[in-house]
Amino acid sequence: MLSYILDRLKSSIVVLFVVSVITFFVLMIIPGNPAQLILGTDATPEAIQELHAAMGLDRPLYQQYLSWLLDLFTLDMGSSYVYGESVTALIARSIPVTFSISIFAMVMSVFIAFLFGIISAIKKNSIADYFSRSIMQLGAAIPSFWIGMVFIVYFGIKLRILPVSGFVPIEQSFAGFIKSILLPSVVLAIGEVGTLLRIIRSSMLDSLKQDYMDMARVKGLSTGKTYIKYALRGALTAPLTIIGMQFAKLAGGTVVVETIFALPGLGRMVLTAVEHRDIVLLQGLVMFITSTVIIITLIVDISVMYLNPRIKSFQQGEL
Amino acid sequence: MRKNISLILGIILVLIIIAVWVLSFVYMPYPPNEMNIPDKFLKPSIDSEHILGTDNFGRDILSRIMYGSRNVLLVGIGSVTLGTLLGIFLGAVAAMKRFANTIIMRIMDGLMAFPGILLAMMLVAVLERGIQGSIIAISIFMVPVFSRLVYSMILDTEALLYIKAAKSYGSSRKQIFLRHYIPAMLPRLITQFTSAIGSAVMIETSLSFLGLGIQPPYASWGLMLSESRQFFLSYPYLAVAPGIAIIITVLGFNLIGDGLNDILINRGNSNE
Amino acid sequence: MNETVVLKDLQINAGDNILVNKTSIVIEEGEIFGLVGESGSGKTLTAKAIINLLPKGLSYSADEIITAGKNMLTSSAEEKKEHIGKNIGYIPQNTVFYLHPMIKIKNQIGDGYVYHMHKTKKEALEKAESLLYKVGFKYPKIVLNYYPWQLSGGMRQRCNIAMALMNDPKLIIADEPTTALDSTVQRQVMDLFRTINEEMKLSILLISHNLGLVKHYSHSLAVMYAGQIVESGYTNTVFSNPKHPYTKLLIEIIPSFKIKKDERLAEIPGIAAENGRDIKGCVFFKRCPKAMDICKEMVAEHIDDKHDHYYRCNLE
Repeated sequence: MLSYILDRLKSSIVVLFVVSVITFFVLMIIPGNPAQLILGTDATPEAIQELHAAMGLDRPLYQQYLSWLLDLFTLDMGSSYVYGESVTALIARSIPVTFSISIFAMVMSVFIAFLFGIISAIKKNSIADYFSRSIMQLGAAIPSFWIGMVFIVYFGIKLRILPVSGFVPIEQSFAGFIKSILLPSVVLAIGEVGTLLRIIRSSMLDSLKQDYMDMARVKGLSTGKTYIKYALRGALTAPLTIIGMQFAKLAGGTVVVETIFALPGLGRMVLTAVEHRDIVLLQGLVMFITSTVIIITLIVDISVMYLNPRIKSFQQGEL
Repeated sequence: MRKNISLILGIILVLIIIAVWVLSFVYMPYPPNEMNIPDKFLKPSIDSEHILGTDNFGRDILSRIMYGSRNVLLVGIGSVTLGTLLGIFLGAVAAMKRFANTIIMRIMDGLMAFPGILLAMMLVAVLERGIQGSIIAISIFMVPVFSRLVYSMILDTEALLYIKAAKSYGSSRKQIFLRHYIPAMLPRLITQFTSAIGSAVMIETSLSFLGLGIQPPYASWGLMLSESRQFFLSYPYLAVAPGIAIIITVLGFNLIGDGLNDILINRGNSNE
Repeated sequence: MNETVVLKDLQINAGDNILVNKTSIVIEEGEIFGLVGESGSGKTLTAKAIINLLPKGLSYSADEIITAGKNMLTSSAEEKKEHIGKNIGYIPQNTVFYLHPMIKIKNQIGDGYVYHMHKTKKEALEKAESLLYKVGFKYPKIVLNYYPWQLSGGMRQRCNIAMALMNDPKLIIADEPTTALDSTVQRQVMDLFRTINEEMKLSILLISHNLGLVKHYSHSLAVMYAGQIVESGYTNTVFSNPKHPYTKLLIEIIPSFKIKKDERLAEIPGIAAENGRDIKGCVFFKRCPKAMDICKEMVAEHIDDKHDHYYRCNLE
């Protein structure tokens, strides 16, 4: 168990390192002189040169990389060209938004996927089964922005019950908060629920085929007990892994939804950074988001291993 | 066979899109970029000259959908093809040359850690927006998946006993590769390829929607959706056609991928 | 006479294919009944039909199925479930996944007891402990805290047996209980069965392809071939006077220490057919060394009432 943790930790660190290299060097290729971008088009060449040197942009690339990397450890990601603020502060401001909708979306997705996934497996090939599976295929194919727009028009404008845009922080008003994240989260959940449902269904089907289901049947246990205690327990490993992966993916993939609903989250900030070629901001954002993904994946993997008692060490003796 | 509704449905949907694509070269009701301001915002109706209506510039929506299919398919299929080829190459190298193995696989791991859209956006930032940028960005996104797949499949196949048998009676490397490895790997590659096209189209549409993909005046469904945003409240029909086009394409390729998966891989092990 | 199981004319189908045909068994109270046959002969399916455990794709019919005193054919699903849970213990062949791998022994061994006997978990654990001791564990408390995969095959089998005994059942069905175990453990487990049978007076349906095992431990037996019972009766009777050619061959091929050095082990050439089990003639026709033309058309059934000896063969 411990060796597994260390192993995963080790490879995560390596991946983080590779990610940092890719992030830094790829973005350095962006054409354009940052100093010039900051000072604008009517700055003098000398001023540009001065700022260039002051920003440390004339050092060899690897040096710039190392100092950037070192700064990361002190959570200093530099200053954004576009906003003029520290990247760290900008990220900190945007985290609550992105995480709120991601978490809420996952909760909804998990609930629906388990509900329909289990029913689908138990009543395999029934109408309910085909219905669930069609919904899941559809959900994966609907572009989030499309359904987002539809929701906005319907719920925001026609029915006027939910806000069309903007984020209400939870400190300001709980009801407002929920209202502002409801639609975006639903849109995100629609994209994820299908995959999860399929995995749950598939795992349940496998679990139902196992011998211990015979045992539960012969013992004549109540339906609930049979399915939940025995069938579901044996079907959890894969879904949990997927949930972790999905959550990680959501953390990094909320751009479109945030754009449509005008939510000031991480994704929207990435878009702005890309549009303005704000390298520093982009490097910080990408590094942060990807690191979060890697760390979440790591935690999920370790938890799944922990929950699966077969991996724990063997003990056997005179019984 | 009731067994493969997925595959059949998927093929039908994809054929629809391909038909539209082919048609776009032969006949489009109107030039897709021709603006016709007096006729703007015409609602769709069967007996009008513009079956699907016109947009804010008076351009015929049906024609733009047809025209857009060209770019969407170009980016979608093109990027996946590129990514697959590169992925196969890297995967094979990693499997066969031990020293390159760790390096390549670590880089692939790194690439896979980036969430899809993020990676695409980052690359587009570097590469310039537009069709080329999209194709390259998405293909880079596809590479790790295919290289990992090929890498593990080669190793798995290598371990199979019949390969050892073939080697022992002197088949040349090339022979073994062609007659044994490729047939073993083909099913999964094809399945992955088709599913990947679905993802690629999704990403392309998202990129175009965000303004980072195909640029005006070219047409892309994602672009059409983003352009329709301003007017959506008054003219919701503007978003219907492109949305449906996207759904049909993505759904079609995904269904084919699933259907193939059932046939080629889950033979006898039907969990569907 | 008190019968624990009465099975009359059981037929099991998978779609159009007949798997088990015209099978009848009577198990007396307190006896160990051996059901012998090759793999694929239908023994497990027959047993599963008795306790309503057949997989979903199969259909079955019978003139009578009385299990532990209750008529299975006229009972509702709920009644069947409760009756079987309370009165039958099932010990499967494959021990690996029968106990749920993710649940500790203590959390699964007693749930049937709690549910049917309306006891508390604590009482269930106490009983489980005493049963585990009875089946041969020196430290039952430790076993209870283990996961199944932490135990060896023999230990798991003994846990299965203890679990089957929790509700003081009237019938235990043991399906190839020793096949997955090594020979010393086999002996232990079989002796355990005999002890349970003698002390607790419960009936055991012992399914095995090992005729030697059945000879040693059962009171009555039935021989199945290709989905049909070809011979049945008291073990002593059948062994001293086997009537069916298949039975005779099986007895011959039981390996014993008396084989001479280079003598080949006997075998029955051919394999049992999966299809065509509903033919009017004898199912053993193709492999029978004594087959006659008439055996293709019909098979005579003999019942020797005095010794309760039944067989289906055209020979005398």
